[in-house]
Amino acid sequence: MNKDMKILIVDDFSTMRRIIKNLLRDLGFNNTTEADDGQTALPLLKNGNFDFLVTDWNMPGMDGLTLLKTVRADENLKDMPVLMVTAEAKREQIITAAQAGVNGYIVKPFTAATLKEKIEKIFERIEG
Amino acid sequence: MSEADKASYLTEEYVQRLNELGEALKQGDDDEANRLIGELTTLRESALFLELGKLTREIHDSINSFTDDERVVELAQEEIPDAKERLNFIITKTEEAAHKTMTAAERAMDVVDSFVLQANDIQQRWTRFRNRELSKQDFLALSEDLDRFFGSINEESNKVKSEMTDIMMAQDYQDLTGQMIKQVITMVQEVEEKLVRLVAISGANLANRVKPKEDGSTAHGPQLPTADKAEVATSQDDVDDLLASLGF
Repeated sequence: MNKDMKILIVDDFSTMRRIIKNLLRDLGFNNTTEADDGQTALPLLKNGNFDFLVTDWNMPGMDGLTLLKTVRADENLKDMPVLMVTAEAKREQIITAAQAGVNGYIVKPFTAATLKEKIEKIFERIEG
Repeated sequence: MSEADKASYLTEEYVQRLNELGEALKQGDDDEANRLIGELTTLRESALFLELGKLTREIHDSINSFTDDERVVELAQEEIPDAKERLNFIITKTEEAAHKTMTAAERAMDVVDSFVLQANDIQQRWTRFRNRELSKQDFLALSEDLDRFFGSINEESNKVKSEMTDIMMAQDYQDLTGQMIKQVITMVQEVEEKLVRLVAISGANLANRVKPKEDGSTAHGPQLPTADKAEVATSQDDVDDLLASLGF
């Protein structure tokens, strides 16, 4: 796993973005950028050479599921690993996200250990 | 006159006229019979009108009592906008507290990180000194760094303590927002009671209302701790199990 990889954090709450950013920094990932919903995230993704997307689901403008679907439908972005960190915990929703091609799913509230474990698992699968 | 009295009075009126009608028919008095039948019809109609009038008045009173209720006006014009403001205030306060806490935690972590770095460096050089691997010049540098490090411990620890105090103080939002949330709950309860009355007046048949079906793509936000366990994954383990069952 490349610790210099470029990560985009998408969440409408600045506190949550800050928490994720701090946790990622503790895990050794310092190259992070933030966006507050799918609409602001998309142009960044299209022009930014990002390696990893961490997104919330419930956001104004474009929500995380739509962002995920848009990423999967985009020729240049379709292989990007996507981790969803969200309060959405209905079984139906988790299945929907899985079908849309999410690589990992974390329900809020979550711990630093969970974030670490899921990120490691995602990149183990991709690299292994 | 009570309902029962009214009913027996009506029955008496009917019985009396029916007896007279029987008598008139026996006597072949058509005019009298017609007059009695007319009277019976009027009696029947007036009873119906009485009931209808009563019903209309009840509905009218209910609606009036609802619209004349000053509390409803107050709720709509003042307390609901007020509650919205309170809730927005709560969002602001909790967000501020979260940022204050994180800023203090980040600063404290920086101090601790720098402690660890310095301590590691000194420890390595100390080990080399114990192994007699350190030149005299390096030893002098080490003792100077040690002096500086010991000197900084007090000041830096006070910095950490002050950040910890800031973190504690940042939790003061809980008292304020807790009180505000209680006020909003009281208001919501009152609105609920009024709504229940309104539903009762309009006689809406709630049992027959069909909830529109939704698919999995709608975002709902956080689930309540009391949410239906069959529908909601209540822990990260639940989520992992579900995803594993889908081949993740």
